[in-house]
Amino acid sequence: MAFLTFRQLDRICQLNVGQDITAERYLRPDEPYLQDHFPRFPVMPGVLMLETMYQTAFWLIYATDDFKHSVVSLREARNVKYSGFVEPEQSLVVHCELIKRDGPISKLKAEGQVDGRVAVSGRLVLESFNLSEREPDYPHTDAYLRRKMREHFATLCEFEAVD
Amino acid sequence: MRWFWIDRFTEFVSGQRATAIKNVSRSEPHTTEYLPGFPIHPSSLLVEGLAQTAGLLVAEHNHFRERVVLAKISKAQFYYSGRPGDVLRYESTAEDIQRDGAICMCKASLGEETVADVDLVFAHLDDRFEGGLFEPSEFIRLLRLMDMYKVGVMPDGTPIRVPDHLLDAEQADANTNNES
Amino acid sequence: MPSEEEIFEKVQTALVDALGVDDDEVTPEATLVGDLGAESIDFLDIVFRLEKAFNIAQIPRSELFPEDILTDDTYVQDSKVTEVGLDELEKRMPFVDFTKFRENPNVQEFANLLSVNDLCRYIGTKVN
Repeated sequence: MAFLTFRQLDRICQLNVGQDITAERYLRPDEPYLQDHFPRFPVMPGVLMLETMYQTAFWLIYATDDFKHSVVSLREARNVKYSGFVEPEQSLVVHCELIKRDGPISKLKAEGQVDGRVAVSGRLVLESFNLSEREPDYPHTDAYLRRKMREHFATLCEFEAVD
Repeated sequence: MRWFWIDRFTEFVSGQRATAIKNVSRSEPHTTEYLPGFPIHPSSLLVEGLAQTAGLLVAEHNHFRERVVLAKISKAQFYYSGRPGDVLRYESTAEDIQRDGAICMCKASLGEETVADVDLVFAHLDDRFEGGLFEPSEFIRLLRLMDMYKVGVMPDGTPIRVPDHLLDAEQADANTNNES
Repeated sequence: MPSEEEIFEKVQTALVDALGVDDDEVTPEATLVGDLGAESIDFLDIVFRLEKAFNIAQIPRSELFPEDILTDDTYVQDSKVTEVGLDELEKRMPFVDFTKFRENPNVQEFANLLSVNDLCRYIGTKVN
């Protein structure tokens, strides 16, 4: 089950390398944590909406850099505002726009909509790096992680990335 | 899987601050699969842990009469990620609790190291939304299991009390179970 | 007593932290709602950060964000603020110049009024 691995996205709808990306996340009524969030009013937790925006953003960076770095981590989330709920059987469609790049740092604007209405928005700061640069305990993980991320990316895309 | 991203409270001063701990475990499926080969606790779930710590702090101050939801992550900075075996400590300070919402400044730490700084804004759901978010007797059971009433004190040091409406629900549930 | 420059810097930091915008977007002429995208949920955040930055015990939110006037039938009719409403606004927010707004008092246009400069002027009256 995708959720167990914490994968949020169902598909990438559109991607312009170096510019922007759109992806979709469908909320299935049987996602197990809904029983707790909330028992009487099941909705997608705000942090999963954030995670969906973050994953949409990192795919844009991975694709733009052709998976040069194994990790694209979330360094900052700013002014993430929740203006609507995502209820079971609804889809959160996220659009991310790359605003600025500064070495390993990428700054993006992100927005998630449900049926055309904005449900969440915010600014994200991502950092790209290879694990071996930071983690002496994981010298061989980069190649493995890059391969796994490429494989997953391929399953999300229905088209070739546009240059 | 359940949506509990804190394990228990270690400190709780009503209306002021709360500290909870979260144990990062290899048996949580996402820990090992999120970034294959590099097991970490996702930052968004760390935010959820802080939000649960802070949200319950805010809600308890109003005797759980208001429905508290996360309205905005004002500013979140992430420095590290938790690894399997780490005990993350979540500290939340209620800076401003008002009629319609509240602001909490939160910090996640690992020992002496700060793992993340997160500022959260909560809102109280207004009358457009009917009914409670939780079933009362289940909710009080959950709060007790998280040691809220074991460590919880008022600013003057006296123990916090379970609000009457939750005590009533707890009693009603006990009566139903005794009868069946 | 803080100088005008000190006030601007602290106001700028409060807005950067509350609204997630960059330093260079918070210019003196930038409007909070129109240019910087501030919404209802941000007002609580902005006011809190200003109180903390300037050690002001309490800034009544309605002195900066008069939502109560803008949603009152006596002060707003057909999406336009009435004369009585305009007088109320001027009384509430003497640090804002309403001349242009009076020419076209559309409630939607109000978003384009409160600027960073206005905010600095307001803080000036509170700390001095």
